[in-house]
Formats: sequence, C-alpha cells, structure tokens
Amino acid sequence: MGISGWFKLGGRSVFSWAFTFQRLTGIVLLIYLLAHLTYLTSLLDKTGATYESMISLTVSRQFLIFDLLLVLCGVFHGINGLRIIIHEFGFAHEYRKPIIAVAAILIVAVWLYASYVMCSLTGG
Amino acid sequence: MAEFRVRRYDGFRSYWQSFEVPAKRGMTVLEGLYYIKENLDSSLAFRASCRMGICGSCAVKINGKPRLACETQILFLGDKITVEPLENYRVIKDLVTDFEGFFAKHKAVKPYLIRKDENYEEPKELLQTPEQLNEYYVFTLCIKCGACYSVCPAASTLDSYLGPAAMAAAYRFCADSRDEGQRDRYEVVSSSQGVWRCHLAMECSEVCPKNIEPAKAVQMLRRSTAFSILRGILGW
Ligand code: SF4
Ligand code: FES
Repeated sequence: MGISGWFKLGGRSVFSWAFTFQRLTGIVLLIYLLAHLTYLTSLLDKTGATYESMISLTVSRQFLIFDLLLVLCGVFHGINGLRIIIHEFGFAHEYRKPIIAVAAILIVAVWLYASYVMCSLTGG
Repeated sequence: MAEFRVRRYDGFRSYWQSFEVPAKRGMTVLEGLYYIKENLDSSLAFRASCRMGICGSCAVKINGKPRLACETQILFLGDKITVEPLENYRVIKDLVTDFEGFFAKHKAVKPYLIRKDENYEEPKELLQTPEQLNEYYVFTLCIKCGACYSVCPAASTLDSYLGPAAMAAAYRFCADSRDEGQRDRYEVVSSSQGVWRCHLAMECSEVCPKNIEPAKAVQMLRRSTAFSILRGILGW
C-alpha cells in the first residue's frame, strides 16, 4: 500500500489517528526547524536588516494563528510521544484507552493555556 | 433483505458489485457470501473453512474493519454491508488475498519449541506451573487470520516487515519456560524488519478477533531483545 498506509483513517481506531497525526506533526515540525535555521542564517547579515525585515513579517498579529497551530503541533507531538514511551516495552497496554484519553485532555489544556499566554503577549 | 456491496477483482480490474441477501437473525456475513455464491454469482471467490472462528481463513474487511466473516452477524451491522479484501496483501481474486508472505514470516520466527536435549527415543515430560503457562498462554490463541497485519502502517511501507502475528508467535515461544531457542529468534526479530520497526500504532490490538494484544507481544519481544543485546554487550 506504501506510504498512504500511514494516513488511512477510515474505519480505524483513535490509536491509528494518533499515529497519523504524530507523523504529520513530525513533518510540520521538521519543516519548521528547517525554516527556523534558514531564519537564523539571516543573522549573518551583521547590519541586522535582513533579520529585522523577516521578524517584522512573521512576529505579527496576522501570523499569530500560524504560531498557535505550530504550538499545537509541538504540544501534540510531545505529549503523544510521551504516551507512546509509556507503552514501550509492553507496559500498560491494558490501560491504553484511559491513557490516550488523559493525553488528549492534556494536549487541549496545554495548548489552550499556551494560546492564552501568546495572545496576551501580542496584546490580544 | 441486506445489501452486500462486494469488492471484486478478476485479475485485471477491481470494481464494486451489489447483491441482495435475505438476512435472517443469527446469519453471519460468511453465510451471506455463501448465499451469493450458491444463488446469485458462483464466480465469487472468498476463503473460509471452519465457520466457527478457529481457522482464521475468513478474515475480510467488513464495513471498513477487518473482521472474521464467520463471527460477524449481518443484523448487527444494519442492512448495508460492504465486504472487501484485507489490505497490505496482494489480492488474487475478489476477497482472496495472497498469504504466502504472511506464513513465510511466521515460519521465519521458528514457531515451535526448541530444546537442546531433544531426544525422541527417550522423550521426557516438561513440567510447567500455571504461572509459567500464564506468561504466554494468551498468545497461543492466535488463529493466523492476518487481520493485524492488514492494518499495520509499518507493514504497509515495508513488505518484508515481520508484522504483529509473526512476532506474537515469536514471543509466545520465547516466553515459554520449556523453550531454549530464544537466541535464534532474537536474531531474526532484532533485524531491521523486526521489533524496532514497530511504531506502536496499536491498531493490531484493536482489530485482533481473539483479543490477544499483538502490539503488546511485539513490545514484550522488543524488551527481551533489548535486554539480550545489552547482556551480549556487557558479556553477562
Ligand atoms: S494476532 Fe490476532 S489479528 Fe493477528 S493473526 Fe493472530 S488472531 Fe489474527
Ligand atoms: S471460517 Fe474459520 S475463522 Fe472464519
């Protein structure tokens, strides 16, 4: 079936959904990391003009929504990753349903709190 | 009447075909398929044998999920039923998929007791306590239906991945107190096609009709393999 097998959601359980989103958020974070590193290379321009122009574009209220989505990706990837680590080596498989429910609640709570902080910082 | 939408494949093209099946209380999807074969279209191909959830031949995708056709009652699903072949296997005809690779993987993990003192002239009784039996008993219930492999995302990207069923079988024997073949099996399952490729999507445990938790078996095997590698490095 190839790589499309990673993104099969129809008829699958919440565990497959978590797997798929773990992959997707991983890809998003990788792209972000590359963009971030590219950004940092703008510091090579010692006058700081390139950096400033890029910052004025991306650190703005219009960009906030993308930042919030990026934080959601990070929070999901981190907390879901911890959930997977709990089950590594065969631990707590019998409790996988309550554990994934707790992980989902944590993801939403942490993301909402982070969004609140970010909105307040940007004067929202 | 229930409408059966069956995914057909004639070797060249794949298409859906609908059949009307008179559904009675207690009638299974497998009986529905037999009804179609006997009364509506004798060319329909599917696999089945025991009709009682023992042989593992009849696993197909029913309403989007892999299930045993002989253990799934039509009226529990409503009056519209879709039946498709399992994913991650090559389709041979209609609902019949190619299980050669699946069984080859099973064979590769040496799913039998390995003893250093094998002596058929003077066989000896190997005693086991109930606790020792409980260590692996649940994994003996696997009927090799292949449902777990069909939903495994690691298997979908690597044909040679051993998959949940084969590794559950490997764990079943490694955890058996009478067995002495752990090293042989660890060698097979610690390859790049084995335990390290599982990313814990856990869907195999969700679809297993025998509830044997193959995802747990893979992880338990990963644990024993890791300890065995560590012991090897430390020279214990
Ligand atoms: S582990 Fe479960 S799903 Fe997989 S082959 Fe065995 S019985 Fe079928
Ligand atoms: S026919 Fe044997 S398991 Fe269904």
